[in-house]
Amino acid sequence: MREIQKDPKPGMPFNMIEGMMPMFPMIAVVGWMLVLIALFVGFTVLSPAQSAFFADAKEARETAAAGSTFVDANVSRHVIEAWVPQFKFFGLGLGLMAITMALGTIAKKLRHMGKVIAAHMPANLAPPTPPIPGRVRMFQLSTVMGVMILLAALIIGIVLATGVVPDYFNHTIATELNTAEVNSELLSQLGTVSSYAKWLNPLRIVGMSFLFTAITLALTVIINTLRMQAGMLVQFYNKASG
Amino acid sequence: MLNVAPPKSSWQAKVFPVLTAIGWILVMISFVIGLSLSSTASGYFGENTKESRDGAAVGDALLGDLETLTVTPRWLEPLTFLGVASFMVGIALAFSTIPNLLSNRGQVLNVCFPILVKKGE
Repeated sequence: MREIQKDPKPGMPFNMIEGMMPMFPMIAVVGWMLVLIALFVGFTVLSPAQSAFFADAKEARETAAAGSTFVDANVSRHVIEAWVPQFKFFGLGLGLMAITMALGTIAKKLRHMGKVIAAHMPANLAPPTPPIPGRVRMFQLSTVMGVMILLAALIIGIVLATGVVPDYFNHTIATELNTAEVNSELLSQLGTVSSYAKWLNPLRIVGMSFLFTAITLALTVIINTLRMQAGMLVQFYNKASG
Repeated sequence: MLNVAPPKSSWQAKVFPVLTAIGWILVMISFVIGLSLSSTASGYFGENTKESRDGAAVGDALLGDLETLTVTPRWLEPLTFLGVASFMVGIALAFSTIPNLLSNRGQVLNVCFPILVKKGE
């Protein structure tokens, strides 16, 4: 058996991504934990806040003053709805990233296996080692892009949940929020809190799409590697037996 | 009979890239419409008092905005999820090509292995 050639080390950021690839089970567990935390927050904070807010008549809810149980509950439920969905999707994103990394690891092992078989062939019959497919870098970049978009959505959610959302809802509904005048700060804040979900939710799906694309690209790397190695073996068979 | 031919291309291998492309098209359409809706929501809620919003009469632009804001999400979300489903079907079809490839690889290796052993001696 001849010596197996090692692949050259990739540059940044691919060396970092490839270094993280074997950690995929841990990343999947972390992703699952984040979704579990989202469930826990839903059970322990969001549900009680909703329950507290809707525990009395509309008039009582809407005339409650800032600092009251009703207004605090109203703030809590809107704050949680600003960051928890982004947090949950980030957890799902880590799960998808783990799948991509697992497929990447399989592709890497397949390449190594191909080299081992080629190393057992006589030098005059062995095929040259093919270069690393460009799609490997594409799926790695697509994975990073997807996770970064989901992380950006989470950061935006946290910024909203610690800024404009509590600022707006920490007011009496009937006498302050409903009577806000044109060009007032409250009405401008209402514009923000009523519109962010309209673009942030699709942005999350764009992030997920990059991760789905990364999985598809990683699968094409595996499929093409299998096809190419089968082709090389057939060539070897024809040369050796012909 | 021994099979020493490379694997044949399957229909799944031809269809899954198309489904990925459809997924991207649907997701990007919903993102662009989402941006437009966000702008409408920001204008509707952020530039009009509750009194004017509640008092909008038939034919008023405000009532049109309200209709857009309440109607569009009802079909936009299923459209987005159709995009997500397209990605997932694409992934499933890509996976479905692998068993045949592995089966072919096993057959080819089965034929090549004795030659490898003989030539390696």
